[in-house]
Amino acid sequence: MENQTKEVKWLCDKCQEALVLEKVKVRYLEGNFEVELLKCPTCKMVFISDDLAMGKMLEVEKGLEDK
Amino acid sequence: MSQNPTMHTTSLCPICLRKLEAYMYEEDKSTYMKKECPEHGEFKTLVWRDTGTSMQEWIRTKERAHIKNPITKVEKGCPYDCGLCSAHRQHTCTALLEVTKRCNLHCQFCFADALGQTQDPSLEQIRFQFETIFRVSGKCNIQLSGGEPTMRDDLPKIVALAASFGFPFIQVNTNGIRLAQDERYLKSLKEAGLHSVFLQFDGTDDKIYKALRGKALFELKKEVIQNCQKHGIGVVLVPTLVPKINIYNIGDIVRFGMQHSPTVRGVHFQPVSYFGRIPKEPSHEDRITLPEVMHHIYEQTDKMVSLESMQPPGCENSLCSFNGNYLVEDGVLKPISKRSCCTSQPSSATEGANKAKAFVARNWSYQKQVQEEKLSDWDKILESIQNRTFCLSGMAFQDVWNVNLERIRDCCIHVSTLDGRLIPFCMYNLTNKDGVSLYRDNVAER
Repeated sequence: MENQTKEVKWLCDKCQEALVLEKVKVRYLEGNFEVELLKCPTCKMVFISDDLAMGKMLEVEKGLEDK
Repeated sequence: MSQNPTMHTTSLCPICLRKLEAYMYEEDKSTYMKKECPEHGEFKTLVWRDTGTSMQEWIRTKERAHIKNPITKVEKGCPYDCGLCSAHRQHTCTALLEVTKRCNLHCQFCFADALGQTQDPSLEQIRFQFETIFRVSGKCNIQLSGGEPTMRDDLPKIVALAASFGFPFIQVNTNGIRLAQDERYLKSLKEAGLHSVFLQFDGTDDKIYKALRGKALFELKKEVIQNCQKHGIGVVLVPTLVPKINIYNIGDIVRFGMQHSPTVRGVHFQPVSYFGRIPKEPSHEDRITLPEVMHHIYEQTDKMVSLESMQPPGCENSLCSFNGNYLVEDGVLKPISKRSCCTSQPSSATEGANKAKAFVARNWSYQKQVQEEKLSDWDKILESIQNRTFCLSGMAFQDVWNVNLERIRDCCIHVSTLDGRLIPFCMYNLTNKDGVSLYRDNVAER
């Protein structure tokens, strides 16, 4: 993720704007968390890469997963 | 009588322990089990009081698991072949090993009926039992129980032995008396590989302890928690819930636990069941059922803990327990679990067992505190999940009056016997009206 943000510029397909790193609120049921994610400054769409979705984010999901 | 197959089961006669057909039926918003022994007559037992959660809506079905290396053959039929036999439908999530029959309390209620003066099993005997657990059930969680396991000076050696097999989670079931008074002993348990203390904790008021345990123990329980915090051992508070004694205290127990998080990892309520040493034959008023426990948690926490956050288990039979998982945030419990609305699709029992094993190992252990600034955002979340989560659960053990053999076949908590068998927990502890057991007293040392 960090590498991607440095090496590749992501553009929002809809707005054609460069994504910027911003703190985003993430919610799992009633648990609230804040993380930095790439976001379109215009339409606010957040980008989550494959690596993140299948890596740390999956780890978090498993951590929250109940019995 | 209901035609619903989930309401038709088999049970046992409370007097002669023969197998009986049993029916569950609703009457005045409660569910009762009725069975009739040709010799000893009819028995009617309360199994579920509907206080906002109906039993039919609660029930979940599972695709059964198959035991890879069963120890016993099916000969006489359930529940007379326990060992585990090939007809058993769930893997071992927790294997329980009784390391002594001695105890330093004399409780009014005790499923182990402990006070014996018999000799403790040797380390070699215990090694043999760990070997058989490992062979049959693989790397399951281990609970060392008794009697009172801390009566043994060599308990750290037993913990180390369990750790040497690679069991991922080792817990001691204790009244905490020695852990409060003997910090060196606690430290040596930690060094041996102990993850968690399953602490008998009946309330936040000494009159409860006097009624149930014969003496004031609340201060001592607080000392145990302090010591565990110091040495990095997770604590699960385990109240035995007895009508007219500590039901009123459920909300305070939850708040006390939360205030002592993250050392206290959660509360595991155990509604009283009637086997082992009990004062008298139970009436309906002597029982508190799972939906009532959930309702009291909801009401007594001023609705901080919603009913919807408490869900049926994925591992054992759904009538055996409930659980909810929360984040402690600004002194409030925020649910991160929710009952699913879909009940039509059966889930896999094997998957449920794997998840439950991992959940217990992760959420009932003490987690290392890491300095926040060194972590990335996602790692901070992982860290807070580990340290800020708090679980609430309840498990209803079965006695000879309410035993449902469907639940026995789905059981995932298995007691290791001296001869190397694994007996579903309730079947091991169950006694008839006169205290006679099918399994507990009938197992010879190998």
